[in-house]
Amino acid sequence: MFGKGFPFVNAAGGFYPRDEARRTPGYTTKVRVRDNYHIVGFISSGTYGRVYKAIGKNGKQGEFAIKKFKPDKEGESIQYTGLSQSAIREMSLCTELSHANVVQLEEIILEDKCIFMVFEYTEHDLLQIIHHHTQPQRHAIPAGMVRSILFQLLNGLLYLHTNWVLHRDLKPANILVTSSGAIRIGDLGLARLFYKPLNSLFSGDKVVVTIWYRAPELLLGSRHYTPAVDMWAVGCIFAELLSLRPIFKGEEAKMDSKKTVPFQRNQMMKIVEILGLPRKEHWPGLVSMPEYTQLQSMVLHRQPPHFHRGSNLEGWYQSCLKNGGYSSNSSAGTPGADGFDLLSRMLEYDPTKRITAQEALEHPYFTNGGPISGNCFDGIESKYPHRRVTQDDNDIRTGSLPGTKRSGLPDDSLLRASKRLKE
Amino acid sequence: MAANYWASTQRRYWLFSREKLAEVRERLRDRDKVTHSQFPLPDQRLLNVYFNQQLIKLGKRMSTRQQAIATAQVYLKRFYTKNEIRQTNPYLVLTTAFYLACKMEECPQHIRFVVGEARGLWPEFITPDVAKLGECEFALISEMSSQLIVHHPYRTLSELQPELPLSSDEVALAWSVINDHYLTDLPLLHPPHIIAIMAIIVAVVFKPSHPGGFPGSAQTALAGAMRDGSGMNMLAAALGDNSGAGPPRIHKLVQWLAESEVDIKAVIECTQELLSLYEVWEQYSEKHCKELIGRMVKSKNLDK
Repeated sequence: MFGKGFPFVNAAGGFYPRDEARRTPGYTTKVRVRDNYHIVGFISSGTYGRVYKAIGKNGKQGEFAIKKFKPDKEGESIQYTGLSQSAIREMSLCTELSHANVVQLEEIILEDKCIFMVFEYTEHDLLQIIHHHTQPQRHAIPAGMVRSILFQLLNGLLYLHTNWVLHRDLKPANILVTSSGAIRIGDLGLARLFYKPLNSLFSGDKVVVTIWYRAPELLLGSRHYTPAVDMWAVGCIFAELLSLRPIFKGEEAKMDSKKTVPFQRNQMMKIVEILGLPRKEHWPGLVSMPEYTQLQSMVLHRQPPHFHRGSNLEGWYQSCLKNGGYSSNSSAGTPGADGFDLLSRMLEYDPTKRITAQEALEHPYFTNGGPISGNCFDGIESKYPHRRVTQDDNDIRTGSLPGTKRSGLPDDSLLRASKRLKE
Repeated sequence: MAANYWASTQRRYWLFSREKLAEVRERLRDRDKVTHSQFPLPDQRLLNVYFNQQLIKLGKRMSTRQQAIATAQVYLKRFYTKNEIRQTNPYLVLTTAFYLACKMEECPQHIRFVVGEARGLWPEFITPDVAKLGECEFALISEMSSQLIVHHPYRTLSELQPELPLSSDEVALAWSVINDHYLTDLPLLHPPHIIAIMAIIVAVVFKPSHPGGFPGSAQTALAGAMRDGSGMNMLAAALGDNSGAGPPRIHKLVQWLAESEVDIKAVIECTQELLSLYEVWEQYSEKHCKELIGRMVKSKNLDK
């Protein structure tokens, strides 16, 4: 379907034949996407736009994932409306970053009023791998593979954190895996530099991180983002790799019409059900959290027995190992007691006590138990399905892509500017 | 890398030798010699003073910070190493640099608001169509190869303050010197820590005598002191030998410099560059810059 003469998608997401390519006076790109890449098909649409699979041409070797940022407003004719701050952040950060466990940017092309970020192609991601292990019936991800994934993920995260980059949206779908088993942290659309930001990190965008992976201090309205928010997400991912289900699968409370950010009561409940209530004796900063009263009201209104228990993470972990068939005499091996200790340090309520990426990499879970492969598929027999690349041209032609805005995350530049205009 | 200057794109792609920078500009000039002779422009540094004033005006009614203005100035410099100024509408380019820098420095402004403010200031040169600015943003980002993260000397200054330590007056003066260095080519010629150290030395050696003058600048405070020579001699002497001559405050600083293995030669060069900026600044006329740029933009229809 996307044969040799495939006309490249134009700004509206529709087609135009090659020779009719409009050239606006003013800005014209020096490199055109179609000069370097042959589009093979469509991979996914996200909050920012869409991702296509491509192969290099005219001397460019290899497979690529091209992320096309859609213009802010889509209508009859596309106009330049200014790039979103999150696109600017992702472009500028990806241009600087270079690490074996962070997705590698090939180039950025600005063409036809759209941005095309060309990344290396990755065949898998953790969401897809976890899903594969639930089909046709649940079979646990081998312990050695979990260990390799986690080590590489932490290694990439340490690189980001030492360079003052917060990812802020770690979740299985954003952890990419190459066909040779290398982990690459992807989607830096929400990433930010946290070195003395001009504005408090809070003021930019109020809702960050997919709710299931959101750290308790964020749920409680913290204004101070620290690398600890990413470490909480890694803890959630670790738990999910072992149990094949999100550990804290809450329901998101939507923003109301006044655009005030609601307290995520249900999500907080899910955490409390496993970890018990956070206590100020253990987490001194708790009482100064903006949503502390909400937390207290949770206790007053409903008092299920588990509220007053301590943490039950160990019970959760043991039954998870049991259900997954992880044991020291199974072929899959077991993350064992070291795994539990590491998990409990990642899922630590107090962000100031939560383990850092550096400390986690030096944890006995990694230092005991032999070498860690840089290929997470090492010794794994099962083959994982390839990424689905659809060739549904209806999708590609559609001018407006419903549901592709970051929900709950209004474009921060717009939000803040409109606020300021009112002031 | 993002927060590591040594691995940054700034160091790898946007640090020029003096010769290289001259060559780059020469090549731009050679491409269109006719326009060049037809539309003479003031000294680059005077143009920079003019642009800086315009950026400050533009930012006035928005809550922008000095760092966003500084980033915008660096964007302008980078852009004009790739494009001949006489082929552009500088008012549009500087408005766009400002708009982009605000997003990068986490104090974003709505495009309509920026265009509205710019139109209020330069109605003849900015059209109400926001798409113009959006398009110029593409050009800017593309010419800078999306390398938008800028490392500034302000950070080094605040890191060194407790270490040296510096008084709040000294920090304030050093801060103004850093503001001023954006009016020169120094941001393209030296890494930010060299600039910060130069600013600290200048602030410690030449105590400010008359504050005021150009807002945020050290020009009025320093120009006289630096020109009268005694300070410069003291500086040269202090930097040239660390035998312990000169006032103890300066001696201590020089000792620290020697221990930290800073490129003293580069620091001296930066000081001279600053001094020569303050000299040329005396010829500055806002009106003159405005007229020359206006004539150029209008007769070449660059505002369309």
